[in-house]
Amino acid sequence: MTETQMSSTPLPAAAAEAVMPSDHERERRRRRRGRDRRRAVVFHAITLALVVVILYPAVWMVVSSFRPSTEIVGNVSIIPSAVTLENYASAFSGIGGVSFWTFFANSTILAVGSVVGVAASSAVTAYALARIDFRGRALWFSLMIATLLLPVHVILIPQYIVFNNLGLVNTFWPLLLGKFLAAEAFFVFLMVQFMRNLPRELDEAARIDGAGHVRIFRSIMLPLMKPALVTSSIFAFIWSWNDFLGPLLYLKDPNLYSLPIALRLYVDQTTGTSNFGAQIAMAVLALVPVLIFFLVFQRYIVAGVATQGLKG
Amino acid sequence: MKRCMRIVAVTATAALLAAGCGGGSGSGDGAEGGDVSLVMTFWGNDDRAQRYDQALRAYEEANPGVTVQETFVDYPSYWPARATEAAGRSLPDVMLMDLSYLREFGANGQLLDVSTLSGDEAIDLSGMSDSLIPSGQVDGAQVGVPVGTNAFALFTDAAAVEATGVPAPEQPTWDEYNDYVAAVAAAGATDAEGQALFGSGDYTGIFWIFIHWLNQQGVEPFTEDGELGFTQDDVAEWWGSVEDLRGGGGFISPERVNQLTPLSIFDAGETTTEQSWDNFLAGYVSNNPDGEHSLQPIPSDDPADPGLFLKPSMLYSIGANTEHPAEAAALVDYLVNDPAAGEAFGTSQGLRASSYQRDAMELEGVDAQVAEYEESIEPLLQDSPPPPVRGFGTLEARFLEINENLNYGTLSVDEAAEQWYGEAQQTLADNQ
Repeated sequence: MTETQMSSTPLPAAAAEAVMPSDHERERRRRRRGRDRRRAVVFHAITLALVVVILYPAVWMVVSSFRPSTEIVGNVSIIPSAVTLENYASAFSGIGGVSFWTFFANSTILAVGSVVGVAASSAVTAYALARIDFRGRALWFSLMIATLLLPVHVILIPQYIVFNNLGLVNTFWPLLLGKFLAAEAFFVFLMVQFMRNLPRELDEAARIDGAGHVRIFRSIMLPLMKPALVTSSIFAFIWSWNDFLGPLLYLKDPNLYSLPIALRLYVDQTTGTSNFGAQIAMAVLALVPVLIFFLVFQRYIVAGVATQGLKG
Repeated sequence: MKRCMRIVAVTATAALLAAGCGGGSGSGDGAEGGDVSLVMTFWGNDDRAQRYDQALRAYEEANPGVTVQETFVDYPSYWPARATEAAGRSLPDVMLMDLSYLREFGANGQLLDVSTLSGDEAIDLSGMSDSLIPSGQVDGAQVGVPVGTNAFALFTDAAAVEATGVPAPEQPTWDEYNDYVAAVAAAGATDAEGQALFGSGDYTGIFWIFIHWLNQQGVEPFTEDGELGFTQDDVAEWWGSVEDLRGGGGFISPERVNQLTPLSIFDAGETTTEQSWDNFLAGYVSNNPDGEHSLQPIPSDDPADPGLFLKPSMLYSIGANTEHPAEAAALVDYLVNDPAAGEAFGTSQGLRASSYQRDAMELEGVDAQVAEYEESIEPLLQDSPPPPVRGFGTLEARFLEINENLNYGTLSVDEAAEQWYGEAQQTLADNQ
């Protein structure tokens, strides 16, 4: 009998064995347990090695943020020879007269705005595309999917020209407007697929009770869509928080800069006076909110995946 | 959950509205009241931002009715942002410009030709060396105003020279210089750490030195229509001129050069001479404080013509789309000519291009040494080259890489010259 056959032995047989194990069986089981243990040790050793490789850069970053600025570049050790808080002091003191908290607030406004915009607009749009039969629905849906295939760089310049003519450059609007108008096809698509898996009987029952689309959406769909909404929110938050190109093109005034732009202002190879310490300290600070956001919502991601597996 | 989300949505939207409007109000400018708001952008870091803050606040104080809003990002991010603005015809009123990007923006009519401004509006270029001014011109239009300058030099480290026991030549010809390099290698001296000392690395891989060598022979490196102004034979002659040194161990080995990166061999004190831009002096001094560095013109077979020229370290350009060309020009004039602005920047942007600023500054140490050198070569200067052709960066990088193959012995001089020249023509054709 091979190993796989052993482990897939049906339950009753296993139970019978447990009642009256022969010496032969016991010996075999001990051997198997030994083999399992060896296997577990190897598995854990490999996993640990991978964790070390993956976490090393993060640990290096945190450690380096406490190192004197001159000792950071070219130093791969994760044991600091000297500890200083100076990097955090200069990160908090801001750049060019703009405080760190301004950058932080700007990033927060953009990220929270994106989450609200994406969740609200994509859910409504997805409801229309998944549940309402209107003329040309299939066409509109495929057009929306087609926008997913457009590379960002193709629409970058036309978009800039439009926002520039509207006089919206140097405000947060270019970065948020699209999100409130469900222009992020990825999220709409995600929610449409999620809604299609919800049993239609639910809204049919509601319709019989006299509910219109608004009522069905609010009372039936929205509560059931929680996993999809949370997943979208997490992605929207992290993408917005890490976005570099958008803020670079649309925000001109340093008072409006988000953290990813501000991070790069400490190091400029062409001026010769780079403050790597402050940059890394600020990078650590910029990571904290994403980390917290992820820790708080990660169980919903798992829940979302689990729920999507259950088909009605 | 539902109510909670609604509250979040309402508050966030309100915050957004407030923030959006707050950002927008700063850019409003009431032209009718005579108040003008200019946007000025530059690349750099905190240090440069503070210098600009100092200079621009002083300017606003002296010119009531004019406000300058400055914006800045790091150098690599600077160019995509400007390119997008150029596409939208919304370049800033005044921007810092790099020589290698001047042609890209200037040739498309994106930048204001400041020579079209006359009378009080004109930018005063009289403080700048006549040879420098053409470097801001694209197709005859003055689209860039130089901020600072650098020039090429032959550096000598007297401390290393003493350790080798071979006297360094003064104003050598190329043959004398190559003989000197060979003599240093033959002397076989070592530095304190036991590393062998050399006269130089293979300098023929540096494209800028090749350009100076062409200049010395009266050959224009690039024609007006952006083609190569020299032949494949010129490249072969240049690379072949040090064939004996290369094969005979006269140069420091390419392996050692790579080992020392990011320091240069001259930084590390393992060569006695180096040819480079004079603003590198500050770096050499800080990386090798024990060295005794001096500057002189690069080798030349005619000592009266070392082919030297001033290169603008950076320039100012005015967006052609500006609504306030006169005010923008006045700001540029202040930044390049006013002694107070010069003092705010010091030598952080290279030696100031305008004598009105340079003469008013008290220079010391390395800065004074560079200033002295640039003064000493003034009678020898040729006109600054026009802004580099598009694709210049690629030509420069491949020149060095193919030259390295010569040193590893994988290519002959003729093969290398043929390969580079063919690639260069292709690069220039691709960038037309």
